[in-house]
Amino acid sequence: MSAARPPAAFAAALASFDLMTMHRLAALLRHHAPDRAWAVAAGHEPPVAGSAVAKVLEVERVRTAWRRSAERIDPDRVWARCAELGLQVLLAGDLAYPALLFAEPHPPPVLFARGDLSVLGGRRVAVVGTRNATAAGRHLARSFGRGLAAAGVHVVSGLARGIDGQAHAGTLEAVGAAAGNPVGRPLAVVASGHDVVYPREHRDLWRQVGEHGLLLSEWPPGASPLAHRFPQRNRLVAALSEIVVVVESRETGGSLITAQLAAERGVPVMAVPGSALSRAANGVNALLRDGSAPALDVDDVLVALGLDHRRLRAPVDDSRVRPRADDLAVYRVCARRASTVGEVADELGVPVVDAAMSLARLEQQGWLAQVEGWFEVSGSPFS
Amino acid sequence: MIASVPSATLLGVTGQPVTVEVHAGVGLPGFTIVGSPDAICRESRDRVRAAILSSGLRWPSRRITVNLAPSGMRKAGAGLDLAIAVALLVADEQVPPDAVERYAFVGELGLDGSLRGMPGVAPMVACRSDRTVVVPADAHGEATAIGAVDVRCAADLVEVVAALAGDPWPDPPRRGEAAVPVVLPDLADVRGQPGARLALELAAAGGHHLLFVGPPGAGKTMLAQRLPGLLPALDPATALEATMIHSAAGLPVPGGGVVRVPTFRAPHHSSSMVALVGGGSSSLRPGEVSLAHGGTLFLDELGEFPGHVLDALRQPLEEGVVRVSRAAVTAVLPARFQMVAATNPCPCGGGRPGDCECDVAAKAKYLRRISGPLLDRFDLRVGVSAATADDLLGRDGGEPTAVVRERVLAARSVALDRAGVLNAALTADDLEAWAPLSAAAERIVRREFEANRLTGRGLHRVRRVARTFADLGGGHDTIGEEELVLALQLRVAFGGSSRVRVP
Repeated sequence: MSAARPPAAFAAALASFDLMTMHRLAALLRHHAPDRAWAVAAGHEPPVAGSAVAKVLEVERVRTAWRRSAERIDPDRVWARCAELGLQVLLAGDLAYPALLFAEPHPPPVLFARGDLSVLGGRRVAVVGTRNATAAGRHLARSFGRGLAAAGVHVVSGLARGIDGQAHAGTLEAVGAAAGNPVGRPLAVVASGHDVVYPREHRDLWRQVGEHGLLLSEWPPGASPLAHRFPQRNRLVAALSEIVVVVESRETGGSLITAQLAAERGVPVMAVPGSALSRAANGVNALLRDGSAPALDVDDVLVALGLDHRRLRAPVDDSRVRPRADDLAVYRVCARRASTVGEVADELGVPVVDAAMSLARLEQQGWLAQVEGWFEVSGSPFS
Repeated sequence: MIASVPSATLLGVTGQPVTVEVHAGVGLPGFTIVGSPDAICRESRDRVRAAILSSGLRWPSRRITVNLAPSGMRKAGAGLDLAIAVALLVADEQVPPDAVERYAFVGELGLDGSLRGMPGVAPMVACRSDRTVVVPADAHGEATAIGAVDVRCAADLVEVVAALAGDPWPDPPRRGEAAVPVVLPDLADVRGQPGARLALELAAAGGHHLLFVGPPGAGKTMLAQRLPGLLPALDPATALEATMIHSAAGLPVPGGGVVRVPTFRAPHHSSSMVALVGGGSSSLRPGEVSLAHGGTLFLDELGEFPGHVLDALRQPLEEGVVRVSRAAVTAVLPARFQMVAATNPCPCGGGRPGDCECDVAAKAKYLRRISGPLLDRFDLRVGVSAATADDLLGRDGGEPTAVVRERVLAARSVALDRAGVLNAALTADDLEAWAPLSAAAERIVRREFEANRLTGRGLHRVRRVARTFADLGGGHDTIGEEELVLALQLRVAFGGSSRVRVP
């Protein structure tokens, strides 16, 4: 045990123990500093009397498994593996640990993150759905991902087959098209270790999400995608999102669990309606029947987010002739609030005829629209 | 014995000659008036009798019949009192017949024999230019306004009888010639509002009808009241017509006897049709449109006027006169006025997109109250916005009326020298000759037409305003892009969108 070994290394190693669960790990780290927790789990030190840890260690099977794991696992090796994979290991008390999860009833004691943590600070919408998606559903998911990202909203999903993967594929398309301009990025929460890609065919997607956005896992490298880990993963998807959009879902499906978890957390759930005859739409239609808001397109989601999406989208591609310098002042007056020609002249202290000419030019170029003498900023060319 | 004395009565704004015939003969003493007197006129009987007795004259105890010739014409008002009294005295031989030969008499009698002015002295005197007209002393000013007629005046019946007996006529009362000059509100009081000020200047210079649209308290009325101050004094013909109208309506005529300052009439929106266009009494009293003759008719809260009243304005706007017809008579009243109107943009008065609380249907309904054809008459339709904090807190006022008036007068004389009429009255042919469009302006017009935002009539109106703007700026011969764009923007389409585009 070298002195330079960071506390997070012990936590990462503990997470790799056999028979280690989120609750057990949380209990260990709640009562002990990471290095002491290691010693307790390895049986070198006694647990705090009467704590949850002490209770767990009364179980013979666990005690044995943990002692064996402690002999087998070297925190330095685990730490090196994390570094090799480019992972940041976040403990619940760390400054970098997402504040969003503080309100969780069971926040993950350790998080393994790859990518840019600043994604957690932007607007975030989850796009989730069934793995057995229809072609239409896949197309929709992709366009939601693309549209949200183009509006500057980060897209949260689980990188599963079907809807999840398509949503992030769309997000990455928008990232590629943005060419360095501000854009929403992918935020994925997975149910296995960072080096265990599941499903296999998402290998490229997995890598790109880490490169362009943020890939989170509760599990240490090497952890396999066990079935019980998926609902646990879903609670993070719900907790990290401002809105959960369910694109397609059967009557029982993981995405309905996500929707349920989101509802428990007060996160609004929106659903994309589908045909009453389509099995892939049973789940979403049920959500709608239960009162979820319909999301027919990206704008619905943006409205729910309270985003003035026109403003965000305008700079991406605007073919309008740029106003002259002197017209720009006039444009700004009208952008502040709708104004008449007289008001513009008054505000800028220019002759009325000059204001009239500027307004006429701006209107001709499509920057302003006039209704009953009021000049207001014209909608974006997209709408 | 029969006596016959000339007088006059009033119909509309013109005097009608009337001959008062009195027959005093044997029979039961009595006093009858025949020849279509109206109610007021019939009451002359009692006034005349009381006046003669209180003046110390003798009341003949004979059968007296008064005939007002021509007897088919309705005689209105009390203006025949004096003539009836004089004729009666002649018939009773208290006044010799040849003493009244050269005279006509107009005036109302009080019970004490005093003479009072009444509405319409000026036009009545005017129709008796063949005689020397005797009028009440307090109506001497307006009676002499016509100029060409010989006028005498007296304060009461005793003075009249004395003068007819050979005494000199009393001197006319001293007129307040140097009376207080009319103080008109000044444009310097208006803060901000450059758009509305420019519109007002254009309206003054070109004679354009003007509509202000803006929220309550924006200063629409204040602006409109400053229009007369920008206008030149009335030309002699119009001044005379205006004086006749004022006299006929019983309004005070200014000290000089002639209405020279353009009038400003602001009838309330509850005004009846008759109040606005004229009629009502048997003399067919001139309405507000005639009282505004040569001046400004200001219609505040245009949308609140009943629709049929507003529609009645269209004929005077087109012809410059009102024809008021009743079963037996028709009067043609001059009514050449400049219309300035104000309205809220919508029921809540906000107007500004985003601030307005009205739903679309309510707003459309509100604007529909003003009929399209009337709205079309306004060459200038501009928004006036509510005063800002700057405007209210000690910001300097704008240019004073005197400065703006200089420009207005110059532009008016340019227009009058060129076409003989103000720009608002230019015909389509005139416009071709006097307001040719530059190539750039023509492009804008073409585009506006193609986008269905401009009609043929609309174009004429816009060109007239553009012509006026060019005149104010020193008179380019051609209408350029700037003039046209400004004119288009100062003629906002309400109840629909109108867009102006330039390259």
